[in-house]
Amino acid sequence: MREEQTFAQDCAEILREDLVAGRIDRRTFMKGLVALGLTPAVLGGSAALSRAVQAQATKPKEVVLANFGGDAVPAFTDAFAKPFEAKEAVKLVIDGSGPTTGKIKAMVDAKKVIWDVIDSGTGQAAQLGEAGYLEPIDYSIVDKTKLDPEFAYKWGVINYYFSTVLAWDSTKVQGTPTWADFFDTKKIPGKRMFRRTGLAMLEPALMADGVAPDKLYPIDQKRAMAKIASIKADALYWNSGAESQQLMRTGECVMGILWHTRANILERDSNGRIKWTFNQGIVQPGIWIVPKNPPAGSAWAHKAINAMQDPAGQVLLLERMGNGPANPAASALVKPEFAKVNPSSPENLAKQVKFGGEWWMANQDQLTQAFLDMISS
Amino acid sequence: MTASTIAGAPRGRRYFFDERTAYWLMVAPAALLMAAFYFYPLVQVLWISVTEPKPGLGNYAQLFTSASIQRTIVTTLRICVITTAVTLLLGYVVAYVLVHASPRAQRWLFLGVLVPLWISVLVRAFAWVTLLAREGLINTTLRDAGLIDQPIALIWNELGIVIGMVHYMIPYAVLPLYANMRDIDARTISAARGLGGSRFYSFRRVFLPQSMPGIIGATVLVFIFSLGFFVTPAILGGGKTLMIAEYISLQILDLLRWGLGTMLASTLILFIFVLLAALARVVDLKRLFGAG
Repeated sequence: MREEQTFAQDCAEILREDLVAGRIDRRTFMKGLVALGLTPAVLGGSAALSRAVQAQATKPKEVVLANFGGDAVPAFTDAFAKPFEAKEAVKLVIDGSGPTTGKIKAMVDAKKVIWDVIDSGTGQAAQLGEAGYLEPIDYSIVDKTKLDPEFAYKWGVINYYFSTVLAWDSTKVQGTPTWADFFDTKKIPGKRMFRRTGLAMLEPALMADGVAPDKLYPIDQKRAMAKIASIKADALYWNSGAESQQLMRTGECVMGILWHTRANILERDSNGRIKWTFNQGIVQPGIWIVPKNPPAGSAWAHKAINAMQDPAGQVLLLERMGNGPANPAASALVKPEFAKVNPSSPENLAKQVKFGGEWWMANQDQLTQAFLDMISS
Repeated sequence: MTASTIAGAPRGRRYFFDERTAYWLMVAPAALLMAAFYFYPLVQVLWISVTEPKPGLGNYAQLFTSASIQRTIVTTLRICVITTAVTLLLGYVVAYVLVHASPRAQRWLFLGVLVPLWISVLVRAFAWVTLLAREGLINTTLRDAGLIDQPIALIWNELGIVIGMVHYMIPYAVLPLYANMRDIDARTISAARGLGGSRFYSFRRVFLPQSMPGIIGATVLVFIFSLGFFVTPAILGGGKTLMIAEYISLQILDLLRWGLGTMLASTLILFIFVLLAALARVVDLKRLFGAG
């Protein structure tokens, strides 16, 4: 049974929209209802409204976003925190102290969670999510149309793209090498560089071994590991992005697999001595996760995530750090000089392989250990 | 802390509390602090090691079944033994020179030994990187001098780790050795020389045996410290050499296998206690750790 809408009710709806959007607070909303001769009960039954009232009532002092620090703190502040504060009148604080998996587990176990949203990856999301340490992503708040649904996971949702690419020292390597060249130490002697977790390291090994880029998943672990083991004597492994940069810059390695953001900085800092390519790079999602019982409340954590899917902030993050916008609509806003280093621009996406997040989520734990065992034996 | 200590303590005048109660009252704050902030967390760690992921000794069984853990332990022991041996040798020389130097030279030498203790281990590891790397100072100097064609692999391997660790550990060897050598009566050497012993003979038969407690103390101290090394191997090892401390941290921070991580931590602590107990039979621990 649908009643005719009265003008007062329409006013209430405007008020409600203002409330949901955060333009007015709960007290003003209530005052408005009283002035219109309505009670909240009149509007009862609207789930969205009661949720909004609830959220408004428990409006947190701040929402805390944890990442791994460095340049990412000021960049995230400008790209995400400032617009969020302006819109919601809630502070978004960036904590760069490094949310390792163990720290998150310890916090949730101790019921002393201090982070609301965490800048994370698929491996961490899978580990923590399945063990009961995360809130599932609430897609009634996070708008799936603002992102590639392929990277909208149960325990995490994409916030930017990054790519694992091949970089080389152009004084020692002629032309543009391929993954096959990377694993051919006879043709091009010298040290090679891998990331030490195995994540997105098995894909290049398989491509070098002749597997077609669209046939990588499910990954043939044995084959990939054997390929990497075949050049073990010439391999070095990095843990942090800074380390990968240092190993290439100091001429320690002639070729390396590293993140495109670091590769880009290297090319700039070495005046083009280090070169890199998106060709057959592995484009991966950086994802937001929400720890169980976040201090600002799950609704506000997801509200922040949703706000950060707005293109403007993501484009700013690309300009500042090289992170590719997750919102496909952002591509149009990217300035041409940044488009060529944007892993998620359509032409660059076409050159790369899409990371098999689902496969890694199911296998990463076991693989990380196996990879460590392989390199340390 | 035991009854025998009390019995041995000098008897004073009687006050409100009897001696035993007063003793416990004085000890209580420290004991409670220790219990709350040391033993309780330690017991918790032990507890996790037998309850996660499922109750039982499954984690400890992995000590005997997991090739990966065994390899890490062997690597750790090998690096620690080599580090300890090199550190002791160098530390002994430094301590010997220190004891026999003039007071003025001693002050400078001490400064040289102690200053590194105030520099972050991270900074020191990176300093070694700049020295030992492929394009580092040592390799470029050797190449420019025409001594080598290809850079020597001084780093990103166990050699690099040992260099970094020895550098860090030297003060820990020098200090106990110096404390011990200072107390050796120089006249015993003079006597040996006077009785016709050569310099080397007098050193070997008179000085060296008297410095044995210092050597043993320094050895155990350096060895125990080496077992817990984390930053230096992580930076200088090129990611290939996994030592036990880093292995534990990986299990706890990244792989979320707290049961396995705490098991290894507990085992490490137990091993260290056993070493200390064995040491206590040979040297006076209190003296070694500076309690006079």
